[in-house]
Amino acid sequence: MKGRLDKYTNTPTTGHEWDGIEELDTPVPWGFRLALKLAILIAATQWVLYPAWPYVVSYTSGMTGYSSRAAVAAAVKDGRSLRDQAFAVFVTPDLEELASKPGIREKFEPVIGALYRDNCSACHGRDLKGQANFPNLTDDHWLWSGELDEIEYTLQVGINSNHEDTRYAEMPAFGRDEILLKPEITDVVEYVLSISGQEHDLSAADRGAEIFAENCSGCHNDGGAGGYAFGAPSLIDSEWIYGGDRKAILATLNNGRAGIMPAWSERLNAAEIRMLTLYVQWAGSDDQGD
Amino acid sequence: MDSRADIWPCILAMVPVFILGIAIVGWGHDVAYVMHGCLIAAVVGWGLVWLIGRLTDPPRSIPFAYNDEISKWGIMATFVWGVIGFTVGDILAWQLAIPELNGDTYFSNFGRIRPVHTTAVIFGFAGNALIATSLYVVQRTSRARLAAEHVPWVVLVGYNLFCVLAITGYPFGITQSKEYAEPEWYADLILLVAWVGYLWLYLATLARRAEPHIYVSNWYYLSFIIVIAMLHTVNNLAVPISISEPKSYPLFAGVQDAMTQWWYGHNAVGFLLTAGFLGIMYYFMPKSVGRPIFSYRLSILGFWGITFLYLWAGSHHLHYTALPDWVQYLGMSMSIILLVPSWGSVLNGILTLNGAWDKVRTDPAVRFMMVAVLFYGLTTFEGSFMAIRPVNTLSHYTDWTVGHVHAGALGWVAFMTFGAMYKMVPWIWRRGSTYSLRLEAWHFWLALSGSLIYVGAMWNSGITQSLMWQTYDETGAFVFAFIDTVDAMRPYYFARAIGGLLFLIGGCIGAFNIYKTVNGPALVQPVPPRNGPLSLPAE
Repeated sequence: MKGRLDKYTNTPTTGHEWDGIEELDTPVPWGFRLALKLAILIAATQWVLYPAWPYVVSYTSGMTGYSSRAAVAAAVKDGRSLRDQAFAVFVTPDLEELASKPGIREKFEPVIGALYRDNCSACHGRDLKGQANFPNLTDDHWLWSGELDEIEYTLQVGINSNHEDTRYAEMPAFGRDEILLKPEITDVVEYVLSISGQEHDLSAADRGAEIFAENCSGCHNDGGAGGYAFGAPSLIDSEWIYGGDRKAILATLNNGRAGIMPAWSERLNAAEIRMLTLYVQWAGSDDQGD
Repeated sequence: MDSRADIWPCILAMVPVFILGIAIVGWGHDVAYVMHGCLIAAVVGWGLVWLIGRLTDPPRSIPFAYNDEISKWGIMATFVWGVIGFTVGDILAWQLAIPELNGDTYFSNFGRIRPVHTTAVIFGFAGNALIATSLYVVQRTSRARLAAEHVPWVVLVGYNLFCVLAITGYPFGITQSKEYAEPEWYADLILLVAWVGYLWLYLATLARRAEPHIYVSNWYYLSFIIVIAMLHTVNNLAVPISISEPKSYPLFAGVQDAMTQWWYGHNAVGFLLTAGFLGIMYYFMPKSVGRPIFSYRLSILGFWGITFLYLWAGSHHLHYTALPDWVQYLGMSMSIILLVPSWGSVLNGILTLNGAWDKVRTDPAVRFMMVAVLFYGLTTFEGSFMAIRPVNTLSHYTDWTVGHVHAGALGWVAFMTFGAMYKMVPWIWRRGSTYSLRLEAWHFWLALSGSLIYVGAMWNSGITQSLMWQTYDETGAFVFAFIDTVDAMRPYYFARAIGGLLFLIGGCIGAFNIYKTVNGPALVQPVPPRNGPLSLPAE
């Protein structure tokens, strides 16, 4: 078939026509040919320089000998040695000595803040004030003591974590496991309300005091003051992890509690754990209100 | 020819699907899964009853006209899925800006409804647009009626059944967690049946064409159908754990699975959203402006370039992963060359407007298509650029990727669909024009501003994210925590949600316009086609 000449473009058509659509026989533009050649050249250059084509047992490895695994390993090594150098100051001294070192906070707080927000803030909040079910780190109420060494140890091994030396604390499920009877539990609830200075039923609280002394004071201490030995919280203040109203205390007594803090020594290095330890202490010292 | 010739093959294909539906109802445990079984059995059972009824009817002669009923239903499905998909997409955009909007239930959270959005727009909206236009185009450019009377319905209903099963399963956790291939095995099998029917129908119609040559649109449509058949089958090779559960496990594991998935994912984009839509462009663009295709030679180079190169490029989705370096580099090099045939198609589309540029001003449908081609050029450049490994270190895992996808999906796919639909609807229903050119123009400007706001917001947020992630201080420690980068995204996420809203409003106006056009008055004197269709193969 012979095409007609398209008047507008002065180009012949190919002569085919489908449902009224024709095609011009325009030659392929030189720009397109050039671009195609350039693109193939760029690709071929890359094939020569880098790993590219497979063959039966292996692949062409390229003149540069590049390997992403090697590149990553080298970059990780470099980064590690750079940080080991920069953070060496955190590793050697005693923690108390480190905390009193002048200028350390000014210099490192921004970096440690990013470290905290990446690893800790999901539970403890960006302001370190915790949230429901996760303790506030800025106040003066501690489960395992606020001493720097103890904070560091908690960070290392975690609480109820899968680390072999983990701190372990479990509030038994007095109701679910039928350790106490239902009325006994409600009595203890009233007692806990009374020692924490809340509205309560006097006679029930009296009965609860006895039950508390027999069943709870082993961990929570006489009078519910709490104790660092078992990571048992004080019940006589207004700070609560799982809520301090009648309903929440009842739920805790019925079903128990066993909050988990991961063991960070499996993820962070010694210097980073110390940095976070200081970060927690700084937050507490800024917040003397409690 | 007997109009009933294809009824038995249809029945034979549908009976196993019907049995599958019954088996799911009988053995299934999960509520959503059993509901799916009911749906399959009901739809396929109804189809079987209809076909069996047709078997006993007296034979009727096949009309001497193109079969456009199927395209009409396809067009309506396109707009219904489009409005659903855009709405869910914008809800997701608002959820990202204001996380509390996730409704706090398991079925309304981001992870479960995001695939509802992607499936509704990719398979529902774009897929139906492709089926509707391809069956319209193949008949006209072949001067032949569709090769069968019943197969087209099996294709369209089967395909949309797949879409419904997919989307209603996600909120209940029925997913195989492969991006853009989320539906589980039973839905995949139904798509396979529909798709084999589609492929056969397309080939058989082409085979009975009265034109000596196969038009370029049909090359693209056919490549799209063949490649999707291949991708869908291989990527969904999986072993169901039992008939009583929707769950299955893929045949491949680890990096092989990842590579198969992105070979699928990239070529679903390459063939469904690119080749298929180039098929639309090559018919509707010249037809709308009455100009010849700019260059036949460029069509050939563009087609074979895209078809050959796309299939290598999937590995660029897995740069800097456990995938072997040679696979990454090979994918990257093919992605770079791919830019040239892609831009060849852009050139061919745009220069087809030579001699008819005034139509861009006067006809919003042509404007839609022209801008679609420009967005295609932008997106393919961006895609090749992002496939370069060092560039990928900046763009990967960021919102830039999301912006890139939407430049293609909104700017190219949806614009081309709207442009073609505004032309095809008046043609197919024999209306003088669309109901309102003004509304068409409103749709255009809303869609354009929405797309630009969306893509601009995602460029900003993606690059901001990436730069923040990669900022270290002199000690080599991160300056920003991840949550800081999330905070920084806030304004962009709001902008994206607003852009999406504009696009959605445009889409609703478009759907309304199409609805009014279809319900409007027909031309008094139907225009007979210039070259009559054939109900018989050409001698």
